[in-house]
Amino acid sequence: MTAGLQWKGERVINGKFLLRELLYSKKQAVIYILCVALSLVSLVAVNSFRSDIDRSISGDARALHGGDIILHSHYELSPGLQRAVVSLTEENRATAVRAWEFYSVARKSDESGSLLCNIKVVENGYPLYGRVDLASGREFSDVVDAGKIVVGQGVLDRLDMAVGDQLLIGSALFEIVDVILYESAKPVRFFNIGPPVLVSYKDLPVMDLVRQGSRVEYETLLKMDDANSVDSVAAWLRGRSLDGQERVETFRDAGSGIKRFFDNLLFFLSLISVCTLLLAGIGIESSLSAILRLKEKNFAIIRSFGATRAYLLHHYLLFVLILSAVGCALGVVSGLLVKGYLSVLFSGFLPQDIVFRSSVADLLEGVVVGLMVVLFFTFLPLWRINNIKPVVIFRRESSREEKTTTYYLCIVFGFSALCALLIRYLGEVSTGFYFLGGILLLLLIVNLMTRLALFSLSKIQWRRPGSRLALRSLLRPGNVTQSIVVTLSIPIALLLIIYLVENNLRGTYIDSFPADAPTLFCLDIQKNQQKAFRELAGGKITLHPVIRARLISINGKAVNRGREMKKRRDNLAREFNLTYREALLEDEILVAGKTLFRKDEKGEPVLQVSLLDTVAEMGNMTIGDILQFNIQGVKMEVEVTSIRSRTRSMLYPFFYFIFPEKYLKGAPQTYFAALHVESEEIPFLENRIVQSFPNISTVNIAETAKEMGRMMQKLSKIVNFFAAFSILAGGLIIVSSILATRFERIKETVYYKILGADSRFVLRIFFLENLLLGLLSSVFSIAVAQAAAWSLCHFFLGISYAPGWGACLWLIGLTIIFVVTLGLLGSIPIIRKKPGQFLRQLN
Amino acid sequence: METLLETRDLSKLYSIGERKVKVLQSVSLIVGEGEFVVISGSSGSGKTTLLSLLSGLDRPSSGRIILDGQDITDLTEDQLAPVRNQLTGFVFQAFHLIPSLNSLENIMFPAELLGDRLAKEKAEQLLKKVGLSQRSNSFPEQLSGGEKQRVAICRALVNEPKIIFADEPTGNLDSENSEGIIELLRSIHQDQNATIVMATHNKAIAEKADRIFHLHDGRLTVER
Repeated sequence: MTAGLQWKGERVINGKFLLRELLYSKKQAVIYILCVALSLVSLVAVNSFRSDIDRSISGDARALHGGDIILHSHYELSPGLQRAVVSLTEENRATAVRAWEFYSVARKSDESGSLLCNIKVVENGYPLYGRVDLASGREFSDVVDAGKIVVGQGVLDRLDMAVGDQLLIGSALFEIVDVILYESAKPVRFFNIGPPVLVSYKDLPVMDLVRQGSRVEYETLLKMDDANSVDSVAAWLRGRSLDGQERVETFRDAGSGIKRFFDNLLFFLSLISVCTLLLAGIGIESSLSAILRLKEKNFAIIRSFGATRAYLLHHYLLFVLILSAVGCALGVVSGLLVKGYLSVLFSGFLPQDIVFRSSVADLLEGVVVGLMVVLFFTFLPLWRINNIKPVVIFRRESSREEKTTTYYLCIVFGFSALCALLIRYLGEVSTGFYFLGGILLLLLIVNLMTRLALFSLSKIQWRRPGSRLALRSLLRPGNVTQSIVVTLSIPIALLLIIYLVENNLRGTYIDSFPADAPTLFCLDIQKNQQKAFRELAGGKITLHPVIRARLISINGKAVNRGREMKKRRDNLAREFNLTYREALLEDEILVAGKTLFRKDEKGEPVLQVSLLDTVAEMGNMTIGDILQFNIQGVKMEVEVTSIRSRTRSMLYPFFYFIFPEKYLKGAPQTYFAALHVESEEIPFLENRIVQSFPNISTVNIAETAKEMGRMMQKLSKIVNFFAAFSILAGGLIIVSSILATRFERIKETVYYKILGADSRFVLRIFFLENLLLGLLSSVFSIAVAQAAAWSLCHFFLGISYAPGWGACLWLIGLTIIFVVTLGLLGSIPIIRKKPGQFLRQLN
Repeated sequence: METLLETRDLSKLYSIGERKVKVLQSVSLIVGEGEFVVISGSSGSGKTTLLSLLSGLDRPSSGRIILDGQDITDLTEDQLAPVRNQLTGFVFQAFHLIPSLNSLENIMFPAELLGDRLAKEKAEQLLKKVGLSQRSNSFPEQLSGGEKQRVAICRALVNEPKIIFADEPTGNLDSENSEGIIELLRSIHQDQNATIVMATHNKAIAEKADRIFHLHDGRLTVER
């Protein structure tokens, strides 16, 4: 018996054997470690980054929301709720502060410039929690007073003003007394459009901007004397609020636009991380299989000496665990480094006071998910060890694994556990389920496409020996052609989808802004301002009546507000703008129902509503459904009689719900106008409108679209950064595949040389092989990306689609360069091998 | 008879760890055109090394090799490529067929490298000659040992080389297949006046050669 190896007895693990095995497979082991590390990098980075954001934004939720209890409404609080708030303050149980927030155009006092601003009018005592930092360092409460405002730096920059200058807002003239550096209620401002202006409540009547139907967010913030009473008082206030119109939230459960933005973005990044994790998993499986395939004969020899299956399995399990531990450590460290870079990548999006720190729990979560993936993907190769019999020594072909019931049970159990863990990590069962299902379907489709392509290529009679040999190399046993194509295609497709969607959005809204599309939206036009507004704006203007309302129920079933608010897209719980008219707009067509409205026997329209197809899909609504609305306190039940669709982009005005004129004409309403004005004319018209009608808000659509484009570009950069990790997984599998088939490649190269081939010929074979790989990967990724991007643009965004073939050609070129470079670099030592030297080793 | 192959003081040293092993020592040999020469010797005597040097698959430590009037000793790998492709053919003990190509493609391959438009026809004729027409689409793993060696011989012949090196061509075969292979090589020698240099330790096979050299401890002696 060999001194080191102990087949029986107390020593189960042979350290020397293990070390030798590790050292012998060092190149493949490095690939394996890199795959494990790669699977964790983005997971750890996103997880840890998410915690930092959570801590920073909602860590001090009171400061973010400005109170213990927050009352929201788009109208003045109802008398019942107002009384309840007054009673709380009178009993000294709470301190209350009111705030009015809206967008309006601010003008320079000499009318030489105007700017849409986010105006927040606040009562004394604001903010109850958190802080407003001013450039002068003074206390906010000491500075803002009647006629004195503080503004964001954007106001000064864009209007070319300075502290001390005067600014017109509505009908009031203000002195700018300071600059806002930081406001804890708005730790981040994503858009340059609408810089902040904080105004004292004393000026609210003077500004004359808050009128009937004005778009104002009424907020009442309460600071409770007894912190323990927050929930009970909130419940008590909820009982006094108008359902569907007023929202009573505590700092713990209140939503925040910023938090929602980060939740959505980080959730999306988590999806990409999971995608990278799964692709790196394929790399883990592939590289471990390569290590074990090279050792199959060794295993058979060791087994012929009398080693048990358990002996090999235990050693290789430990082998995998050691490499995985190194990979995990590398992944965690790299993840933290990547997280450091995220602050650069997210610059402009992050709260000023964000503190980056790494909690052990965040790291552990990432590591546990990563290890589960490692375990799952190493199971298949390790199972093969179980089936290696000594007789393999005498055979040239690999041993085939026996797939028993236990094997399948393990696969099912492992897969279910992995899915459960990933869904838990993503935090959303249905989205997680659909995402994993989608990824698996995608893997299956690309796999089938690859098989089909390789099968078809193998049937072609290639005349040139180089092409024939290159193709045969792709089909070589042990070559993980399918894994390479799949792991490259999916991330490349992801990058292309992002590019195509961004490009189409940009094309629709920015680059090819339709010539006749509205460039200026005017909101909150009062009934008595219609005529004067038309005269001022000139031209033929359509004024759309706007009545604000909430949808309460569909066919008697109440709209689930909690569930709707959690939706990442538009939801049915929000306040809608209803309108009335008797005819379709020129860009509308009926997709269900014969006419917009049905008429009764007297020829009068019955109480009914026409839906836009997008809102109908949101609530699975169809013709004949009964919807109940709360129209500013009045409940109205209507039947759906038609469904419309739109033929133009979303730049043109549209309404989800249209009523017959007869039923809404008397409701409190404002008017909305969409004007087409040349861009250079917009500031002058805005000025004239705001001078004449201070309550009317104007939105420069073209500028907003540009700002959106800027933001999209930044977001796509962030997403691309994460998607690049998945491409690295594909690259690692290429190298792993070359290493795994190194012996066969050298053997064939030597054979070619023996038969008279020169280095150029061999190089050409490897080049063609990698060219085919790159071509297949890029073509499949383009097919997948085009289908996905078209679906997103067509069904989700409702915009026209341009396939961007130029970018696709670039992508094909870049993918081929990437694959061929990597493939040839890995093959150079093989090409250099001399025949005599190799044959001697072989003999 | 014109000289086709000549070696002068050929030596080969291998380094095994720190140890230097002299496999061949001052081997001088002349093979004339159309000769059937056998290099005999026991296992490990250096037969394979000598053949790989003669055919340009390996480089000697010292000495010269002149093949068809050309000194191939110092040629680079790429300069050796046309020599291997057109001047020599090699039949290995372990066959060394390209696993990804079928029988016909394996045989065609050297001719295709040469750019021979009749590669396929030539390969088919050779396959027919060795009785393997029905196995033309079979891949190496689907062939028996004897069949593999016949395909390997066809491959060595396809470019009608001036000299064929055969290294223990029957070493991996049973007696029946061995006899068939030797007969095939003999018929090639007789019908096409091909020059064959064969290494074997099988005395019965060696007896069929025109001349026999014996290799022992790296030194070559003339036996017959």
